[in-house]
Amino acid sequence: MFSYLIRRLLYAIPILFGVMLITFLLFFVVQPPYARARAILGEKARPAQVQQWLHDHGYDKPTYLNTKPGQHLFDSLFVNQMKRLITFDFGVSDKTSLPIAKTFTDGVIPSLCLTLPAFVIGFIMAVTLSLYQVFIRYSALDRFGVFLCVALMSIPPMIYMFVGQRVLAMQLNYFPAYGFDLRGWQTAKFVLLPVTLMIVMYLGNDVRLYRTIFLEEITQDYVRTALAKGVPQSRVLFVHVLKNGMISLITLVVAHLPFLIMGSLLLENFFGIPGLGNALIHAIQTGDAAMTNALVYLGALFYLAGLMLTDICYAFADPRIRLS
Amino acid sequence: MPSRRPPLLRACALLLLSLTATFFAGCGNDPNLQPEHEKRADGSPWQVRYSYMPDDPRSLDPQFAYDQMSRRLLEPVVDTLLEYHPFKTDPYEVMPSLLASMPERVKNPDGTETYVCQLKRGILFHNDPCFPNGKGRELTVQDVEYGWKRMVDPKVECPALSSLQDYLVGFGEAYETAKKADALDYSKPLKCFEIVDDQTFKVHLLKPYPQIIYWMAMHFMSPVAHEAVEYYDGKEHPDANGKMVLRPAFKWHPVGTGAFQLVEYEPASRARLVRNPNYHTVVFPSDGYPPDRADFLKQFAGMPVPLVDEIQVTIFREQTPIPVLFNQGYLDSMGVSKDAFNRVVTTAQELTPEYKKRGVALEKDLDVSTFFISLNMEDPVIGTNKKLRQALSCSYDGQSYVDIFWNGVSPVAQQLMPPGIFGYDKNYQNPYGYDLEKAKRLLAEAGYPGGIDSKTGRRLELNMEASANGSEERQMTEFVQKGFEALGIKVNVVENTFAELLRKEDAGKFQILEGTGWGADYPDPENFYMLLNSRNFPPEGKNVSRYKNPEFDKLFDKMATMDNSPERLQIVNHLRDMIGEDCPQIFTFHKAFFTTINPWAQRTSTNMLLEGAFKYQQVDPVMRAKLQREWNRTPKWPPFVLVLLIAGAAGYAIRLNRKRNV
Repeated sequence: MFSYLIRRLLYAIPILFGVMLITFLLFFVVQPPYARARAILGEKARPAQVQQWLHDHGYDKPTYLNTKPGQHLFDSLFVNQMKRLITFDFGVSDKTSLPIAKTFTDGVIPSLCLTLPAFVIGFIMAVTLSLYQVFIRYSALDRFGVFLCVALMSIPPMIYMFVGQRVLAMQLNYFPAYGFDLRGWQTAKFVLLPVTLMIVMYLGNDVRLYRTIFLEEITQDYVRTALAKGVPQSRVLFVHVLKNGMISLITLVVAHLPFLIMGSLLLENFFGIPGLGNALIHAIQTGDAAMTNALVYLGALFYLAGLMLTDICYAFADPRIRLS
Repeated sequence: MPSRRPPLLRACALLLLSLTATFFAGCGNDPNLQPEHEKRADGSPWQVRYSYMPDDPRSLDPQFAYDQMSRRLLEPVVDTLLEYHPFKTDPYEVMPSLLASMPERVKNPDGTETYVCQLKRGILFHNDPCFPNGKGRELTVQDVEYGWKRMVDPKVECPALSSLQDYLVGFGEAYETAKKADALDYSKPLKCFEIVDDQTFKVHLLKPYPQIIYWMAMHFMSPVAHEAVEYYDGKEHPDANGKMVLRPAFKWHPVGTGAFQLVEYEPASRARLVRNPNYHTVVFPSDGYPPDRADFLKQFAGMPVPLVDEIQVTIFREQTPIPVLFNQGYLDSMGVSKDAFNRVVTTAQELTPEYKKRGVALEKDLDVSTFFISLNMEDPVIGTNKKLRQALSCSYDGQSYVDIFWNGVSPVAQQLMPPGIFGYDKNYQNPYGYDLEKAKRLLAEAGYPGGIDSKTGRRLELNMEASANGSEERQMTEFVQKGFEALGIKVNVVENTFAELLRKEDAGKFQILEGTGWGADYPDPENFYMLLNSRNFPPEGKNVSRYKNPEFDKLFDKMATMDNSPERLQIVNHLRDMIGEDCPQIFTFHKAFFTTINPWAQRTSTNMLLEGAFKYQQVDPVMRAKLQREWNRTPKWPPFVLVLLIAGAAGYAIRLNRKRNV
């Protein structure tokens, strides 16, 4: 397994390099830093001010190689950017000049306040409801449940957010419509609505998928044996089937774990949660290349970590699987 | 075998019940933070204003910040030497703030000028850890000098430098010297700044520049405590317990003498300003009230400001929640956006009955700005043909544009200067305003009858540059395009990224540039007519049209250094007429917008050059609390329905289980 992991780590290098290259081309070649400086400093900025900004951010270097006399050949935008990302020295935001590392550490907690409860509660709810549906399988209520799942899957996320805010925050006045506060119970007040919406958004898809997995599981011999031995239906489902079905579920779910850190682009932006999703969407909107680069790079890292974690979980959850 | 309830099911049931209980508990929909205190020291209620802004500030360094968002947070924190009167807007007027009186102007025999300024005594900086024992020390004239030196520090890159270096003695020179040395020597005095004593300083000008008083009302010239710049260096330092703590950079932790102290700033989230207990620099004005609100305002005359104790500013990057929170009473006022316009304002430009019933007030604000379409005077087709430019100007239907895209709120611009500025004549009509027949006639005289080039017989084809900013901007550009094409010419719209647009603007590679404008730095004709001065070609300046007229330049130079007088008015009018005749720009509109104000937060400032005027704002917290309760009632039945549904489903499952296990 160790050699497999090493191999996977090596595979990750060209993928990460590809991500870095694409973001570099987008933010440093398609839109040169000079234009970004003008946009960020505003229409009244003087050329000297723009030059100083470029210098402060290290954007006054040649793009690929530095062929200026007396300069180091690799002291260029491209090489410096690659170096920064590889060494996790992300520098400062183009827009606010605040350290990106600080934005990241400040943004992780709000993001996790949203995604972690939504993930845990959503997972438990999806498992419970899918087991419930399997329990009442092929009944009218089960069919209605499947219909409801398809309906939930078909509604775009924006509709949930808009309707959720309108009904629960504006009409019924249960939750704040916007904002965030990281002070004790205040946090719960602000994340309750987005967490609820996030759960509902993914619930239809998850319940339907898990239902299929559990339905496949109950046709297994061990289920028939347990039932024949007189184990109650509910116990068979919630203990035996659940335990075996979890092997497939865990591998599906674990891949999402690293992504929880990156938050939710739409929900954070819509409800004003200052997490990493919000930071990324704002960085894209304002052309903050340094921030976008760093967050996209981290996103890619987390994605690869998620894939590796899935593989490891396979090996742990099912002894028949050997990674080599 | 006794049936055991599986633990997961139990956990889920508990979870659902606790979630439902949270609904019952009613966590409340108030998004604002708990105020810093409940009561003031004298036992009266702590008063809070709830405001917002649409984006983060770019910097809170007084010598660097130039954008609106930064000014909104800097204005209450960093005092200026002079400040705008909150009500006197026609014409705008400045009054002393940190200065004890208006600067004394001395005309020297050699044509130079000196302004003698005296600081108020007993002004204290905010209490801040950068000072010994955390107590703000007294402001001295050296702090003003330090702030001014920062303006010529290449590391700061003050945006005001280019405007001031032509007038302040040795200003540009100090910058160049520092640039060469790669650092400013703060021990060397500035030639333009002479310290007379602890409270008095003189400002030396190369030539008359009456606008200097407006610069003194901007935070570029504000005093700065060197302790704050040195302390807030953006690096880690050990605290009292030896733990390394990151200090913010000075540009994110301004330390001023203002009415409020910035106690919290969370990027993308909020800022919180709390009353500076040491503040006694100015009081609420007792004159200049608009007649329609004089009765209300005179109760505050002479009162110490700020009137409220705390300002909470939410940063809304999404516009949708603004009307929601305003309607719930959690925002004191709201700018009426285009999306919300029809819900709030009727076609007669009054409040809709729903808002009237709530006691909301509607205010119309006019920004000190002008928008225009730039025509390239160096272009071989447009630049050399005055009649063609006049024809284009006559074909632009400003009123329809404003009605369609700005809900008819913004007035059509007849000239470059907006209302409230010396020389603005509200009766003046642009001689080449919308008149399609005249436009066709002018086009024929320009050599293009019916849009056809009389020499080549081909249809005149022009390119119009626009920014690719979304569907609404595209519609605006198409409107202008259709107006021009009504003359029979063909106009190609070229959509550009921001970078491309800048490149074309800097190099003068365009024919027509749509969507350009200018917001006043200060209320003087010089600040607008410099847009057409030939020394201001991009990228150094903002003469986007590349208008070059020696007579205009000569008159502009004369007008720029004059005091307001009948002679200056005559020159301003002449400049206006020259521009009106030459048409290097097609004037479109002066930006105006509506603001709705909740009944407990009646407005106490009408000056758009002030960014919020937080220190003059007042609030009736009792009325707010009462109306907030009334507007945010929560029905109790939905949680019951939810619990019933869950219980029903659980009951069904239990029954089914029993049936199957029989």
